[in-house]
Amino acid sequence: MEQKWSYLVDEYRAMLYRIAFSNMKNRADAEDAVQEAFLRYMKDEKPIQNKEHEKAWLIRTTIHICLDILKSGWYQKTVPWNESFENAAKNIYLPYQVKDDETLEAVLQLPVHYRNPIYLFYYEDYAIREIAEILNEKEGTIKTRLRRGREEVKKLLTERRP
Amino acid sequence: MGIQEVQGNGNAQAYQKKRSAGRGEGFQESLLQNLRYRDQEENAITDTETEARKKAENVGVGRIGITSGIRVNAAAVQEALQAVEVRHMSYEESDHIKIAVTEGYTLKGKREDSEEARVYVEAKYDDGRQEAYQVEIGKISDTTEHEIERFALETMNEA
Repeated sequence: MEQKWSYLVDEYRAMLYRIAFSNMKNRADAEDAVQEAFLRYMKDEKPIQNKEHEKAWLIRTTIHICLDILKSGWYQKTVPWNESFENAAKNIYLPYQVKDDETLEAVLQLPVHYRNPIYLFYYEDYAIREIAEILNEKEGTIKTRLRRGREEVKKLLTERRP
Repeated sequence: MGIQEVQGNGNAQAYQKKRSAGRGEGFQESLLQNLRYRDQEENAITDTETEARKKAENVGVGRIGITSGIRVNAAAVQEALQAVEVRHMSYEESDHIKIAVTEGYTLKGKREDSEEARVYVEAKYDDGRQEAYQVEIGKISDTTEHEIERFALETMNEA
């Protein structure tokens, strides 16, 4: 691999994998999505203005690839073997310790329009402005989704607790 | 709710007696008394509001606008907490983090390199606000219920 691409892979692979995993909830599909995102970036002729845009582009593309896979007819007819959606939070490999797996599990169960903003805001520590850029939405939309998503997480946790 | 219920104390009765005492010159006196009693009532209401706010702030968690947030106790600001500029510290740089999805905020803490035990705490809320505090550990009460103070103590223990 060329030198100029290897830094990119080293720098973003782990983070992109976690974002892909939060959408796919299985290792193989998450890895496929990240590989595809890197390939698209390398083939893309358009120059990226700066590092922040580069990162935003990669995250956005990874999410789009995940959503395309999830929507595909093939994916909907198959189930990954040997992995359970129930324990997705344990396999996400965050670079810090999360004391509350139950909440992360609930976040991963949210509908996609809540899940991605919430995951990026809380677990990858992105600012609302950055999330708006990554997801191509207005900041106000992200704030609304964070608020409503939070209410959905509360509901999910309440339903789970006896 | 009637006026009696609002006033509801000994002062109200005394005021009524004075009010029926006379006209003319009595009017001025009555007006002055009226003003005085109104002031007293307003102060009483303000005191009640302040009391309730103090209780919420002592706990450290309040509600600002529609989003839950961490209210900083005014007294605590003078004591253990000092508002400082936000450094935009990453999770990797932090010694301790708290992710409170259901409350709508995250906290990041880092022990400062200084002779006095100090912790830098950064708070990020889901309404877009970001705040940062310098916390002097020595000034925190052992029994504090203030969220940021407690988090600073946890950061100190983690580091």
